[in-house]
Amino acid sequence: MKFWKKLLHRRRLRRDLADELRFHVEMKAQALGDQPQAARRQFGNPTAIQEVLHDMWTFPSIESWWRDIRYAVRSLASAPGFSLVAVVALALGIGADTAIFTIVKGAFTWNLGLDHIERIMWITTVNADAHTFDWAVSYPDFRDFRSRVKSLEGVAAYRFSPSNISYENGLPEQRWNAQVSANSFAVSENKASLGRVFVDADEAPGAPPVVVIGHHVWRDRFGSDEGIIGKVIRVDEIPRTVVGVMPRDRRFPEETDIWTPITASEKRNEHNLVMFGRLAGNGTTATANAELQTIAASLAAEYPATNKEMSAALRPIVEITAAYGLRPLFALLFAAVGFVLLIACADVANMLLARGAGRTREMAIRASIGAGRARIFRQLLVESVVLSAVGGVLGWLVALGGIKWFDVGVTALNKPIWMDLSIDRWAFAYMAAISIGAGLISGLAPAWRLMAQTGVSSILKDGGHGSVSGRATSRLTSALVVFQMMLCVVLLAASGLMIRSANQLYSAPVGVTTANILTSGVNLPRAKYSQPGDRLEFQRAALSQTAALPGVAAAAVTSNLPLGGWDTIECQLQGEAVTKRLSAIVVTPSYFKVFELKPIAGRLLAADDSEIVVNHSFAGKYWPNETAVGKHFRLAQGPEPGTWLTVVGVVPDVLQNTRDRLEIHPLFYLGYTRWPNARINLVARTAVPPETLVNPLRAAIQKIDSNLPISRTVSLQSLLDSARLEVTVFGSICSVFAGIALILATVGLYSVIANSVSMRSQEIGLRMAMGGSPRDILGLVFRQGMRPLLIGLLLGVPLAMVAMRALTSSLVGVAPTDPITFGGVIFVLLAAGALGCVIPARRATRVDPVIALRCQ
Amino acid sequence: MGTKKPQGTLVQGTLDMMILKTLSRGGPSHGYAMAVSIQAVSEEVLRVEEGSLYPALHRLELEGLIDSEWGTSENNRRAKIYRLTPAGRKELTKEAENWQRLVRAIGLVMETAS
Repeated sequence: MKFWKKLLHRRRLRRDLADELRFHVEMKAQALGDQPQAARRQFGNPTAIQEVLHDMWTFPSIESWWRDIRYAVRSLASAPGFSLVAVVALALGIGADTAIFTIVKGAFTWNLGLDHIERIMWITTVNADAHTFDWAVSYPDFRDFRSRVKSLEGVAAYRFSPSNISYENGLPEQRWNAQVSANSFAVSENKASLGRVFVDADEAPGAPPVVVIGHHVWRDRFGSDEGIIGKVIRVDEIPRTVVGVMPRDRRFPEETDIWTPITASEKRNEHNLVMFGRLAGNGTTATANAELQTIAASLAAEYPATNKEMSAALRPIVEITAAYGLRPLFALLFAAVGFVLLIACADVANMLLARGAGRTREMAIRASIGAGRARIFRQLLVESVVLSAVGGVLGWLVALGGIKWFDVGVTALNKPIWMDLSIDRWAFAYMAAISIGAGLISGLAPAWRLMAQTGVSSILKDGGHGSVSGRATSRLTSALVVFQMMLCVVLLAASGLMIRSANQLYSAPVGVTTANILTSGVNLPRAKYSQPGDRLEFQRAALSQTAALPGVAAAAVTSNLPLGGWDTIECQLQGEAVTKRLSAIVVTPSYFKVFELKPIAGRLLAADDSEIVVNHSFAGKYWPNETAVGKHFRLAQGPEPGTWLTVVGVVPDVLQNTRDRLEIHPLFYLGYTRWPNARINLVARTAVPPETLVNPLRAAIQKIDSNLPISRTVSLQSLLDSARLEVTVFGSICSVFAGIALILATVGLYSVIANSVSMRSQEIGLRMAMGGSPRDILGLVFRQGMRPLLIGLLLGVPLAMVAMRALTSSLVGVAPTDPITFGGVIFVLLAAGALGCVIPARRATRVDPVIALRCQ
Repeated sequence: MGTKKPQGTLVQGTLDMMILKTLSRGGPSHGYAMAVSIQAVSEEVLRVEEGSLYPALHRLELEGLIDSEWGTSENNRRAKIYRLTPAGRKELTKEAENWQRLVRAIGLVMETAS
């Protein structure tokens, strides 16, 4: 304790030591009869004693480190140009790395409002026929799993849908409603912060309707009024009593706004619930999985009609989030940014090497006056670490800017609430670690090189030029340039492929004309529109109102927009005994007019809803080598199961799959009157810019039902464009990295060539004096610069082709060895290399032979 | 670098022990008083050089065997006063025992040799 205090008060320590010794001398003088001279003579050298004592109290090592750092700062400050470039290179590398670290940490830290996220499991069913994960289960299946599972502490279920909520005279608004089983809260270990969560009685049929609201809804909509408990709000036209408010940021299962109790259903083929459970204290995923599969097997035996092809699987709950699929992309970004940092390190190493060549004399002198080799080595490493530390500080700003940029981009993409992009102490520690690491990596080779050269006699004699060790240094710098070029090829190839893939994705034909289409989402609350007739009446009114708007050429209702997925309906094909889950788009006949779809066989839908139209893929999949027109199948679920429907036409394929896949899905088009969905999209082909009709459309709908909110009223084109942002953001991040890498590598090449030109100015001067033309000199410099670049390309291109295989799953419509991309990469690198050579080469041609030769 | 050489050469490490002993016998004291005391008690045989005394004091303090604080001397000057710590007392007992054994052993050797 005392020791530290003394160490910290260094000035006081010195004074105390002096005081103590002076006191001694004075006492001694007194004893000798006031003879200070004699006393001092007897005492000896007080300064020497004081130094001995001082060293006992301090760390001589710390002092010498401090001296090294001060020396390094002075030495770097004396070469401002070099230091600036090195610091900027490192700042870019370190900053980008820290930014991506923060982003990746934000993306991988799943909060979701759960305390033990690793124990919450999503229970999916597996459809053996469709060999896909079928995320949902039916209510009866859920009930059976809940009562039979032993290895999970509770099995809960929910379905997630938008609901219209209104309160007193406020405007109606659409909010996300999680219909949950009462035990959901216990399973996810969430409690209400005000009031209560659901109890089993709330779930029973005929129970008084209740609702739990999210903290943000409570705050924004109800002004954090604690008296809200017991008040009644209308959810989809059903008056529900508010019984609880959830704590802040507790929005599980998804980005939930309100919670209502689940409604029971006896339809075992209606798969609309997401099931989840919590692993028991000592339970493992394997045992739970085995048990779930056993239960699924027994259910399949009990209910062969619906469950025959169903099995179960356990997956971590985080996989339910959309961003989970982006993890490989994030990993890729992390690797890419690591490459950028390595390139920056190689840059700095090269510059240090170049600088080192001019410092051999300084080192030799230091060695000759007694500095050990280890001491010189340490001194040089301290220098590069000081550089990278300054780079780290600047990198901090780069990271802040980068994260801000990413944040703006992601917010535009509807940023998930759990994504935390703050730079915390982990990010800080990471940054500190990579800063020091970068300093050591970039300093190691140059320091070792320089130390190895510090054979005193040879250097003091040799002018530091053209010695054997000089050639070894130039081999090392060339190797570093080769290394940089290799990494650059990989980075450029990755970003090029991403961009190409994004272009492929968005230049792929949707199958319909997307221009001049206005879309709007409507969700008809079941309480008010409980009967199919109510919904049909609304649809008719909405269509006639919309079609009557000036500027609207045609209007239709559809269950799904292009690239907006499809509905799944249990169907039975004629001549087949078992039912199949087929994909359908539910439309009014005018849909084909709005999207200008012409039949390729047969005709389009008319008013008769026992007719259906299939797409080209559907016809090809189910009736290969046959005519689809005239075939029959019937729906095995829904309001009127059993009626045979007739295929009257085949239409071209329209892209319904989400953007990440370019696959065409087999679909059939079903008349809305046969399948009157509550959640519909209004689409209208307009003769004027669609945006101008947003307000008239809203007014038209409010005329039919003033309590009905319409959501997302935008042009189809802007809807598709916003979906495109995701890949655009990743593509541009990748391109920024590749751009930085390219600049750094070019700077690296430039600095190597520039240095070599200045080292060889004598030789160049001599050549010119001997009659060498500027052309010869240019050729000389270019040959020297292009050699490591070409070797880098030769090694880098095959390396990148292998590495890009890791990207295959994220690439669409582009091979990992896409010749266009690689051609572009090679061209860009050659151009950048030429740029890096041209300035030093020009300088070389301007060497004045007389000055160059006299220089020595 | 005292001008007068002490007549007895100190065995390595015995200075530490004598400092501890002096503090144990006379209580808290400053460096000068300890030097005087050792010289007096040893009947002027042992002279403690300042060049050894102060490094020894500070080493002992760092080892936690003695403790110090700034106080006032008998003639009202600011002086650094040293005091024995419990650890120092324990160390002294151990060192004293070792010393006694050593002295006895040397004594035995010297007697038989004569």
